[in-house]
Amino acid sequence: MQTIRKHLRYVSFFMALVMAFGTVWASSATAGMVGTGELLTEQRADLDRQSLMNMLERDEVKERLAQMGVSQDQVEKRIQSLTPAELSSFEQQLAEAPVGEDVVGIIVLFLLVFVVTDMLCATNIYPFINCIR
Amino acid sequence: MTISINPRLLRIAVSIVLATIVAGCASRPQWPESETLNTAPDGEQRLVLDDVPFYPQERYQCGPASLAMMLNSQGLNTNPEVLKELVYLPERHGSLKVELVAAARAHGLLVYPLDGSLKSLLDEVAAGNPVLVMQNLRFGWWPQWHFAVVMGFDAEERNLILHTDTRGHHEETVEVFMATWERAENWAAVMLPPDQLPATAEPLRFLVSANDLETTGRTLAAATAYQTAEKNWPDQPAAIMGQGNIAWEQGQPKLATDHYQRLTRKFPRVAAGWNNLAHSLAAQGCTTAAETAASCAAAINPERFDGAIPEIACTDNPDTCPVLQCPVPSDQTL
Repeated sequence: MQTIRKHLRYVSFFMALVMAFGTVWASSATAGMVGTGELLTEQRADLDRQSLMNMLERDEVKERLAQMGVSQDQVEKRIQSLTPAELSSFEQQLAEAPVGEDVVGIIVLFLLVFVVTDMLCATNIYPFINCIR
Repeated sequence: MTISINPRLLRIAVSIVLATIVAGCASRPQWPESETLNTAPDGEQRLVLDDVPFYPQERYQCGPASLAMMLNSQGLNTNPEVLKELVYLPERHGSLKVELVAAARAHGLLVYPLDGSLKSLLDEVAAGNPVLVMQNLRFGWWPQWHFAVVMGFDAEERNLILHTDTRGHHEETVEVFMATWERAENWAAVMLPPDQLPATAEPLRFLVSANDLETTGRTLAAATAYQTAEKNWPDQPAAIMGQGNIAWEQGQPKLATDHYQRLTRKFPRVAAGWNNLAHSLAAQGCTTAAETAASCAAAINPERFDGAIPEIACTDNPDTCPVLQCPVPSDQTL
Protein backbone atom coordinates (compact mmCIF):
# COMPACT_ATOMS: atom_id res chain seq x y z
CA MET A 1 0.00 0.00 0.00
CA GLN A 2 2.80 2.35 0.99
CA THR A 3 4.63 1.73 -2.26
CA ILE A 4 1.55 2.47 -4.36
CA ARG A 5 1.02 5.75 -2.57
CA LYS A 6 4.65 6.66 -3.13
CA HIS A 7 4.34 6.15 -6.82
CA LEU A 8 0.84 7.59 -7.07
CA ARG A 9 1.94 10.46 -9.25
CA TYR A 10 3.51 8.14 -11.83
CA VAL A 11 0.61 5.76 -11.73
CA SER A 12 -1.90 8.52 -12.33
CA PHE A 13 0.22 10.01 -15.10
CA PHE A 14 0.35 6.60 -16.75
CA MET A 15 -3.41 6.15 -16.34
CA ALA A 16 -4.07 9.59 -17.83
CA LEU A 17 -1.95 8.66 -20.83
CA VAL A 18 -3.84 5.41 -21.30
CA MET A 19 -7.17 7.22 -21.07
CA ALA A 20 -6.07 9.85 -23.57
CA PHE A 21 -4.97 7.21 -26.05
CA GLY A 22 -8.20 5.34 -25.49
CA THR A 23 -10.20 8.40 -26.56
CA VAL A 24 -8.02 8.97 -29.60
CA TRP A 25 -8.50 5.37 -30.71
CA ALA A 26 -12.21 5.46 -30.11
CA SER A 27 -12.74 8.60 -32.15
CA SER A 28 -10.68 7.32 -35.04
CA ALA A 29 -12.66 4.08 -34.97
CA THR A 30 -16.00 5.83 -35.49
CA ALA A 31 -14.78 7.74 -38.52
CA GLY A 32 -12.73 4.85 -39.90
CA MET A 33 -13.24 2.56 -42.84
CA VAL A 34 -16.70 1.11 -43.20
CA GLY A 35 -16.61 -2.69 -43.34
CA THR A 36 -18.45 -4.65 -46.00
CA GLY A 37 -20.57 -6.29 -43.32
CA GLU A 38 -21.95 -2.96 -42.15
CA LEU A 39 -23.03 -2.00 -45.65
CA LEU A 40 -24.67 -5.41 -46.09
CA THR A 41 -26.63 -5.08 -42.84
CA GLU A 42 -27.81 -1.66 -43.93
CA GLN A 43 -28.91 -2.93 -47.32
CA ARG A 44 -30.71 -5.92 -45.88
CA ALA A 45 -32.59 -3.58 -43.52
CA ASP A 46 -33.55 -1.30 -46.42
CA LEU A 47 -34.87 -4.27 -48.35
CA ASP A 48 -36.87 -5.57 -45.38
CA ARG A 49 -38.24 -2.12 -44.68
CA GLN A 50 -39.30 -1.74 -48.29
CA SER A 51 -41.11 -5.08 -48.31
CA LEU A 52 -42.89 -4.20 -45.08
CA MET A 53 -43.93 -0.88 -46.60
CA ASN A 54 -45.27 -2.66 -49.68
CA MET A 55 -47.37 -4.90 -47.46
CA LEU A 56 -48.98 -1.86 -45.91
CA GLU A 57 -50.42 -1.11 -49.32
CA ARG A 58 -52.65 -4.19 -49.19
CA ASP A 59 -56.28 -3.43 -48.63
CA GLU A 60 -56.83 -6.05 -45.93
CA VAL A 61 -53.96 -4.68 -43.91
CA LYS A 62 -55.18 -1.11 -44.31
CA GLU A 63 -58.64 -2.17 -43.21
CA ARG A 64 -57.45 -3.99 -40.08
CA LEU A 65 -55.21 -1.12 -39.08
CA ALA A 66 -58.10 1.28 -39.51
CA GLN A 67 -60.18 -0.97 -37.26
CA MET A 68 -57.49 -0.68 -34.62
CA GLY A 69 -57.54 3.05 -35.01
CA VAL A 70 -54.00 3.38 -36.31
CA SER A 71 -53.42 5.59 -39.30
CA GLN A 72 -51.21 4.36 -42.12
CA ASP A 73 -49.11 7.47 -41.88
CA GLN A 74 -48.28 6.71 -38.25
CA VAL A 75 -47.32 3.13 -39.05
CA GLU A 76 -45.07 4.18 -41.92
CA LYS A 77 -43.24 6.57 -39.68
CA ARG A 78 -42.66 3.86 -37.15
CA ILE A 79 -41.41 1.37 -39.69
CA GLN A 80 -38.70 3.88 -40.59
CA SER A 81 -37.37 3.71 -37.06
CA LEU A 82 -37.30 -0.10 -36.69
CA THR A 83 -33.82 -1.57 -36.26
CA PRO A 84 -32.35 -4.10 -38.72
CA ALA A 85 -32.82 -6.84 -36.11
CA GLU A 86 -36.51 -6.06 -35.64
CA LEU A 87 -37.06 -5.95 -39.37
CA SER A 88 -35.32 -9.25 -39.96
CA SER A 89 -37.31 -10.91 -37.19
CA PHE A 90 -40.42 -9.92 -39.09
CA GLU A 91 -39.08 -11.36 -42.35
CA GLN A 92 -38.23 -14.53 -40.42
CA GLN A 93 -41.79 -14.88 -39.11
CA LEU A 94 -43.16 -14.33 -42.57
CA ALA A 95 -40.83 -16.91 -44.11
CA GLU A 96 -41.74 -19.49 -41.50
CA ALA A 97 -45.45 -19.17 -42.10
CA PRO A 98 -46.79 -22.28 -43.85
CA VAL A 99 -48.05 -21.79 -47.39
CA GLY A 100 -51.63 -20.61 -47.44
CA GLU A 101 -51.53 -19.29 -43.91
CA ASP A 102 -53.14 -15.94 -43.24
CA VAL A 103 -50.26 -13.63 -44.14
CA VAL A 104 -52.30 -10.56 -43.31
CA GLY A 105 -52.64 -11.91 -39.80
CA ILE A 106 -48.87 -12.11 -39.41
CA ILE A 107 -48.34 -8.60 -40.73
CA VAL A 108 -50.96 -7.15 -38.45
CA LEU A 109 -49.65 -9.17 -35.49
CA PHE A 110 -46.16 -7.81 -36.09
CA LEU A 111 -47.40 -4.25 -36.31
CA LEU A 112 -49.45 -4.90 -33.22
CA VAL A 113 -46.41 -6.10 -31.27
CA PHE A 114 -44.02 -3.40 -32.36
CA VAL A 115 -46.32 -0.49 -32.98
CA VAL A 116 -49.68 -0.69 -31.30
CA THR A 117 -48.53 -2.16 -27.98
CA ASP A 118 -46.44 0.92 -27.62
CA MET A 119 -49.60 2.98 -27.45
CA LEU A 120 -50.73 0.84 -24.56
CA CYS A 121 -47.45 1.50 -22.74
CA ALA A 122 -46.47 -2.16 -22.79
CA THR A 123 -43.20 -1.27 -24.41
CA ASN A 124 -41.61 2.06 -24.92
CA ILE A 125 -39.68 1.83 -28.15
CA TYR A 126 -41.03 5.06 -29.59
CA PRO A 127 -40.72 8.02 -27.29
CA PHE A 128 -42.98 10.20 -29.47
CA ILE A 129 -46.03 8.02 -28.90
CA ASN A 130 -48.28 9.09 -26.09
CA CYS A 131 -49.77 6.32 -24.02
CA ILE A 132 -53.47 5.68 -23.79
CA ARG A 133 -54.30 5.41 -20.13
CA MET B 1 -72.59 -56.11 -17.66
CA THR B 2 -72.08 -52.58 -18.77
CA ILE B 3 -68.82 -50.92 -19.53
CA SER B 4 -68.71 -47.49 -18.09
CA ILE B 5 -66.47 -45.05 -19.88
CA ASN B 6 -65.20 -42.02 -18.16
CA PRO B 7 -66.47 -39.15 -20.38
CA ARG B 8 -63.39 -37.08 -19.59
CA LEU B 9 -61.02 -39.82 -20.74
CA LEU B 10 -63.09 -40.28 -23.88
CA ARG B 11 -62.85 -36.60 -24.69
CA ILE B 12 -59.07 -36.69 -24.30
CA ALA B 13 -58.77 -39.76 -26.47
CA VAL B 14 -60.90 -38.23 -29.21
CA SER B 15 -58.92 -35.03 -29.22
CA ILE B 16 -55.65 -36.94 -29.46
CA VAL B 17 -56.93 -38.89 -32.46
CA LEU B 18 -58.22 -35.70 -34.08
CA ALA B 19 -54.97 -33.87 -33.43
CA THR B 20 -53.02 -36.67 -35.08
CA ILE B 21 -55.24 -36.62 -38.16
CA VAL B 22 -55.15 -32.85 -38.48
CA ALA B 23 -51.40 -32.74 -37.98
CA GLY B 24 -51.03 -35.48 -40.58
CA CYS B 25 -52.96 -33.44 -43.12
CA ALA B 26 -51.08 -30.24 -42.45
CA SER B 27 -47.63 -31.74 -42.73
CA ARG B 28 -48.06 -33.67 -45.95
CA PRO B 29 -45.35 -32.14 -48.10
CA GLN B 30 -45.86 -31.05 -51.66
CA TRP B 31 -43.41 -32.01 -54.36
CA PRO B 32 -42.50 -28.80 -56.20
CA GLU B 33 -43.91 -28.27 -59.69
CA SER B 34 -41.87 -30.23 -62.21
CA GLU B 35 -41.67 -27.29 -64.63
CA THR B 36 -39.59 -25.42 -62.06
CA LEU B 37 -37.00 -28.15 -62.25
CA ASN B 38 -36.53 -27.75 -65.96
CA THR B 39 -32.75 -27.79 -65.52
CA ALA B 40 -32.92 -31.58 -65.49
CA PRO B 41 -31.95 -32.93 -68.93
CA ASP B 42 -34.98 -33.34 -71.23
CA GLY B 43 -37.53 -33.34 -68.46
CA GLU B 44 -35.98 -36.41 -66.95
CA GLN B 45 -37.72 -37.40 -63.75
CA ARG B 46 -34.75 -39.04 -62.12
CA LEU B 47 -31.43 -37.32 -61.56
CA VAL B 48 -28.37 -38.63 -59.75
CA LEU B 49 -25.09 -36.78 -59.36
CA ASP B 50 -22.64 -39.57 -60.04
CA ASP B 51 -19.55 -37.52 -59.33
CA VAL B 52 -20.32 -37.34 -55.61
CA PRO B 53 -18.24 -40.05 -53.94
CA PHE B 54 -19.61 -42.03 -51.01
CA TYR B 55 -17.94 -42.68 -47.67
CA PRO B 56 -19.83 -44.94 -45.27
CA GLN B 57 -19.73 -43.30 -41.88
CA GLU B 58 -18.10 -44.90 -38.90
CA ARG B 59 -19.82 -44.75 -35.53
CA TYR B 60 -21.30 -41.25 -35.00
CA GLN B 61 -19.10 -39.80 -37.71
CA CYS B 62 -21.64 -38.56 -40.20
CA GLY B 63 -20.09 -35.07 -40.03
CA PRO B 64 -16.61 -35.87 -41.35
CA ALA B 65 -18.04 -38.35 -43.89
CA SER B 66 -20.60 -35.87 -45.27
CA LEU B 67 -18.07 -33.05 -45.38
CA ALA B 68 -15.59 -35.26 -47.24
CA MET B 69 -18.23 -36.04 -49.89
CA MET B 70 -19.02 -32.35 -50.27
CA LEU B 71 -15.34 -31.35 -50.60
CA ASN B 72 -14.43 -34.24 -52.92
CA SER B 73 -17.29 -33.38 -55.26
CA GLN B 74 -15.63 -29.96 -55.71
CA GLY B 75 -12.34 -31.61 -56.60
CA LEU B 76 -10.67 -31.18 -53.22
CA ASN B 77 -8.50 -34.07 -52.19
CA THR B 78 -9.40 -35.11 -48.65
CA ASN B 79 -11.07 -37.92 -46.72
CA PRO B 80 -13.06 -38.44 -43.51
CA GLU B 81 -9.99 -39.55 -41.55
CA VAL B 82 -8.26 -36.22 -42.18
CA LEU B 83 -11.41 -34.17 -41.56
CA LYS B 84 -12.16 -36.01 -38.34
CA GLU B 85 -9.32 -34.07 -36.73
CA LEU B 86 -11.00 -30.83 -37.77
CA VAL B 87 -14.65 -31.37 -37.05
CA TYR B 88 -15.26 -34.36 -34.81
CA LEU B 89 -15.88 -33.88 -31.10
CA PRO B 90 -15.31 -37.27 -29.43
CA GLU B 91 -17.01 -36.15 -26.23
CA ARG B 92 -20.20 -35.09 -28.03
CA HIS B 93 -20.17 -38.12 -30.35
CA GLY B 94 -20.58 -35.84 -33.32
CA SER B 95 -19.80 -32.68 -35.19
CA LEU B 96 -21.28 -29.23 -34.93
CA LYS B 97 -22.82 -27.47 -37.90
CA VAL B 98 -20.58 -24.42 -37.43
CA GLU B 99 -17.49 -26.62 -37.54
CA LEU B 100 -18.48 -28.20 -40.84
CA VAL B 101 -19.11 -24.73 -42.25
CA ALA B 102 -15.80 -23.41 -40.89
CA ALA B 103 -13.88 -26.40 -42.25
CA ALA B 104 -15.37 -25.89 -45.73
CA ARG B 105 -14.33 -22.23 -45.60
CA ALA B 106 -10.86 -23.25 -44.51
CA HIS B 107 -10.71 -25.21 -47.76
CA GLY B 108 -11.47 -22.00 -49.66
CA LEU B 109 -15.09 -22.84 -50.49
CA LEU B 110 -18.00 -20.46 -50.20
CA VAL B 111 -20.72 -21.89 -47.97
CA TYR B 112 -24.12 -20.77 -49.19
CA PRO B 113 -27.01 -21.64 -46.86
CA LEU B 114 -30.21 -22.34 -48.80
CA ASP B 115 -33.51 -20.69 -47.99
CA GLY B 116 -34.91 -23.90 -46.52
CA SER B 117 -37.48 -24.73 -49.18
CA LEU B 118 -37.61 -28.14 -50.85
CA LYS B 119 -37.73 -26.43 -54.22
CA SER B 120 -34.41 -24.66 -53.68
CA LEU B 121 -32.84 -27.89 -52.51
CA LEU B 122 -33.98 -29.74 -55.63
CA ASP B 123 -32.99 -26.82 -57.87
CA GLU B 124 -29.44 -27.00 -56.54
CA VAL B 125 -29.24 -30.76 -57.09
CA ALA B 126 -30.67 -30.31 -60.58
CA ALA B 127 -27.94 -27.76 -61.26
CA GLY B 128 -25.32 -30.33 -60.28
CA ASN B 129 -24.59 -29.12 -56.76
CA PRO B 130 -24.80 -31.72 -53.96
CA VAL B 131 -26.48 -30.31 -50.87
CA LEU B 132 -25.38 -30.86 -47.28
CA VAL B 133 -28.46 -31.23 -45.08
CA MET B 134 -29.00 -31.48 -41.36
CA GLN B 135 -31.70 -33.79 -40.05
CA ASN B 136 -33.16 -34.72 -36.72
CA LEU B 137 -33.87 -38.44 -36.86
CA ARG B 138 -35.75 -38.54 -33.57
CA PHE B 139 -37.97 -36.00 -31.84
CA GLY B 140 -37.61 -32.36 -30.98
CA TRP B 141 -37.33 -33.12 -27.27
CA TRP B 142 -34.91 -36.03 -27.73
CA PRO B 143 -32.91 -35.16 -30.79
CA GLN B 144 -30.63 -37.34 -32.84
CA TRP B 145 -28.84 -34.94 -35.16
CA HIS B 146 -27.55 -36.23 -38.45
CA PHE B 147 -25.76 -34.88 -41.51
CA ALA B 148 -26.26 -36.27 -44.99
CA VAL B 149 -25.66 -35.29 -48.59
CA VAL B 150 -28.56 -35.02 -51.03
CA MET B 151 -27.18 -35.97 -54.43
CA GLY B 152 -30.23 -36.90 -56.47
CA PHE B 153 -33.98 -37.17 -56.68
CA ASP B 154 -36.72 -39.11 -58.39
CA ALA B 155 -39.66 -36.85 -59.14
CA GLU B 156 -41.91 -39.68 -60.23
CA GLU B 157 -41.42 -41.76 -57.10
CA ARG B 158 -41.30 -38.57 -54.96
CA ASN B 159 -37.98 -39.73 -53.52
CA LEU B 160 -34.82 -37.93 -52.54
CA ILE B 161 -31.55 -39.76 -53.07
CA LEU B 162 -28.98 -39.35 -50.32
CA HIS B 163 -25.58 -40.52 -49.27
CA THR B 164 -26.39 -41.07 -45.62
CA ASP B 165 -24.90 -43.06 -42.70
CA THR B 166 -23.71 -46.39 -44.14
CA ARG B 167 -26.00 -46.29 -47.18
CA GLY B 168 -24.98 -44.82 -50.50
CA HIS B 169 -27.71 -43.88 -53.01
CA HIS B 170 -30.31 -44.29 -50.29
CA GLU B 171 -33.79 -43.39 -51.52
CA GLU B 172 -35.99 -41.64 -49.00
CA THR B 173 -39.60 -40.61 -49.58
CA VAL B 174 -40.23 -36.89 -49.46
CA GLU B 175 -42.53 -37.39 -46.44
CA VAL B 176 -39.79 -38.99 -44.34
CA PHE B 177 -37.17 -36.55 -45.51
CA MET B 178 -39.28 -33.46 -44.85
CA ALA B 179 -40.23 -34.67 -41.37
CA THR B 180 -36.61 -35.17 -40.32
CA TRP B 181 -35.38 -32.06 -42.14
CA GLU B 182 -38.02 -29.78 -40.66
CA ARG B 183 -37.05 -30.90 -37.17
CA ALA B 184 -33.59 -29.50 -37.93
CA GLU B 185 -35.06 -26.18 -39.10
CA ASN B 186 -34.59 -27.01 -42.78
CA TRP B 187 -30.87 -26.37 -42.66
CA ALA B 188 -29.16 -27.01 -45.98
CA ALA B 189 -26.10 -25.58 -47.68
CA VAL B 190 -24.09 -25.89 -50.85
CA MET B 191 -20.30 -25.54 -50.80
CA LEU B 192 -18.85 -24.18 -54.02
CA PRO B 193 -15.66 -22.53 -55.28
CA PRO B 194 -16.10 -18.75 -54.95
CA ASP B 195 -16.16 -18.21 -58.72
CA GLN B 196 -19.38 -20.23 -59.05
CA LEU B 197 -22.86 -19.04 -58.26
CA PRO B 198 -25.27 -21.43 -56.57
CA ALA B 199 -28.35 -22.08 -58.71
CA THR B 200 -30.66 -20.42 -56.19
CA ALA B 201 -28.25 -17.63 -55.28
CA GLU B 202 -29.83 -14.43 -54.06
CA PRO B 203 -27.59 -11.31 -54.10
CA LEU B 204 -27.51 -10.26 -50.45
CA ARG B 205 -27.39 -13.80 -49.11
CA PHE B 206 -24.46 -14.59 -51.41
CA LEU B 207 -22.65 -11.39 -50.44
CA VAL B 208 -23.07 -12.21 -46.76
CA SER B 209 -21.47 -15.60 -47.45
CA ALA B 210 -18.63 -13.81 -49.26
CA ASN B 211 -18.27 -11.49 -46.29
CA ASP B 212 -18.00 -14.54 -44.02
CA LEU B 213 -15.01 -15.62 -46.10
CA GLU B 214 -13.53 -12.13 -45.74
CA THR B 215 -13.95 -11.98 -41.98
CA THR B 216 -12.52 -15.46 -41.47
CA GLY B 217 -9.35 -14.49 -43.30
CA ARG B 218 -9.94 -16.33 -46.59
CA THR B 219 -9.08 -13.12 -48.40
CA LEU B 220 -8.38 -14.45 -51.88
CA ALA B 221 -11.52 -16.58 -51.93
CA ALA B 222 -13.54 -13.61 -50.66
CA ALA B 223 -12.15 -11.33 -53.38
CA THR B 224 -13.10 -13.90 -56.02
CA ALA B 225 -16.59 -14.20 -54.56
CA TYR B 226 -17.06 -10.40 -54.64
CA GLN B 227 -15.93 -10.32 -58.27
CA THR B 228 -18.38 -13.10 -59.10
CA ALA B 229 -21.14 -11.11 -57.40
CA GLU B 230 -20.25 -7.87 -59.22
CA LYS B 231 -20.30 -9.65 -62.57
CA ASN B 232 -23.71 -11.23 -61.94
CA TRP B 233 -25.44 -8.46 -60.04
CA PRO B 234 -24.19 -5.05 -61.25
CA ASP B 235 -26.70 -3.39 -58.91
CA GLN B 236 -24.98 -4.49 -55.68
CA PRO B 237 -22.67 -1.85 -54.16
CA ALA B 238 -21.36 -4.25 -51.48
CA ALA B 239 -19.72 -6.41 -54.17
CA ILE B 240 -17.44 -3.52 -55.18
CA MET B 241 -17.02 -2.26 -51.64
CA GLY B 242 -15.80 -5.71 -50.57
CA GLN B 243 -13.08 -5.71 -53.24
CA GLY B 244 -11.97 -2.24 -52.17
CA ASN B 245 -11.88 -3.18 -48.49
CA ILE B 246 -9.79 -6.27 -49.25
CA ALA B 247 -7.29 -4.22 -51.27
CA TRP B 248 -7.13 -1.76 -48.37
CA GLU B 249 -6.56 -4.55 -45.85
CA GLN B 250 -3.74 -5.85 -47.99
CA GLY B 251 -2.04 -2.44 -47.90
CA GLN B 252 -2.79 -1.45 -51.50
CA PRO B 253 -4.45 1.98 -51.21
CA LYS B 254 -4.07 2.69 -54.92
CA LEU B 255 -5.98 -0.43 -55.89
CA ALA B 256 -8.52 0.29 -53.15
CA THR B 257 -9.02 3.79 -54.57
CA ASP B 258 -9.75 2.30 -57.99
CA HIS B 259 -12.48 0.10 -56.50
CA TYR B 260 -13.98 2.87 -54.37
CA GLN B 261 -13.99 5.25 -57.33
CA ARG B 262 -15.88 2.69 -59.38
CA LEU B 263 -18.25 2.31 -56.42
CA THR B 264 -18.93 6.05 -56.07
CA ARG B 265 -19.36 6.41 -59.84
CA LYS B 266 -21.97 3.67 -60.03
CA PHE B 267 -23.61 4.28 -56.66
CA PRO B 268 -23.12 7.98 -55.85
CA ARG B 269 -25.73 7.83 -53.06
CA VAL B 270 -23.84 5.24 -50.95
CA ALA B 271 -22.17 7.39 -48.30
CA ALA B 272 -19.90 4.59 -47.05
CA GLY B 273 -18.27 4.44 -50.48
CA TRP B 274 -17.26 8.14 -50.29
CA ASN B 275 -16.03 7.67 -46.73
CA ASN B 276 -13.75 4.78 -47.64
CA LEU B 277 -12.58 6.60 -50.74
CA ALA B 278 -11.54 9.51 -48.53
CA HIS B 279 -9.39 7.15 -46.46
CA SER B 280 -7.67 5.46 -49.37
CA LEU B 281 -7.01 8.82 -51.06
CA ALA B 282 -5.56 10.19 -47.83
CA ALA B 283 -3.23 7.21 -47.62
CA GLN B 284 -2.04 8.06 -51.12
CA GLY B 285 -1.36 11.66 -50.14
CA CYS B 286 -4.19 13.17 -52.19
CA THR B 287 -5.28 15.97 -49.85
CA THR B 288 -7.83 17.83 -51.96
CA ALA B 289 -9.55 14.75 -53.29
CA ALA B 290 -9.71 13.18 -49.81
CA GLU B 291 -11.32 16.34 -48.44
CA THR B 292 -13.91 16.34 -51.20
CA ALA B 293 -14.73 12.65 -50.69
CA ALA B 294 -15.12 13.09 -46.92
CA SER B 295 -17.43 16.06 -47.45
CA CYS B 296 -19.53 14.04 -49.92
CA ALA B 297 -20.00 11.28 -47.31
CA ALA B 298 -21.02 13.85 -44.70
CA ALA B 299 -23.41 15.55 -47.12
CA ILE B 300 -25.23 12.29 -47.91
CA ASN B 301 -25.39 10.93 -44.37
CA PRO B 302 -24.47 13.61 -41.80
CA GLU B 303 -25.56 11.43 -38.87
CA ARG B 304 -23.05 8.72 -39.68
CA PHE B 305 -20.12 10.67 -41.15
CA ASP B 306 -18.78 13.89 -39.70
CA GLY B 307 -16.78 14.95 -42.76
CA ALA B 308 -13.49 14.93 -40.85
CA ILE B 309 -10.52 14.50 -43.13
CA PRO B 310 -8.51 11.33 -42.46
CA GLU B 311 -4.85 11.78 -41.67
CA ILE B 312 -2.98 12.57 -44.87
CA ALA B 313 0.04 10.39 -45.48
CA CYS B 314 3.21 12.29 -46.31
CA THR B 315 4.46 10.80 -49.52
CA ASP B 316 7.17 12.49 -51.54
CA ASN B 317 5.56 11.81 -54.84
CA PRO B 318 1.82 11.32 -54.50
CA ASP B 319 0.17 9.25 -57.20
CA THR B 320 -1.93 11.09 -59.70
CA CYS B 321 -4.94 12.28 -57.74
CA PRO B 322 -8.44 12.27 -59.16
CA VAL B 323 -10.68 15.32 -59.25
CA LEU B 324 -13.92 14.51 -57.48
CA GLN B 325 -17.36 16.02 -57.38
CA CYS B 326 -20.14 15.23 -54.92
CA PRO B 327 -23.44 13.95 -56.30
CA VAL B 328 -26.35 16.35 -56.52
CA PRO B 329 -28.24 16.21 -53.27
CA SER B 330 -31.50 14.32 -53.11
CA ASP B 331 -33.60 13.37 -50.13
CA GLN B 332 -32.93 9.68 -50.56
CA THR B 333 -29.97 8.53 -48.47
CA LEU B 334 -28.25 5.24 -47.89
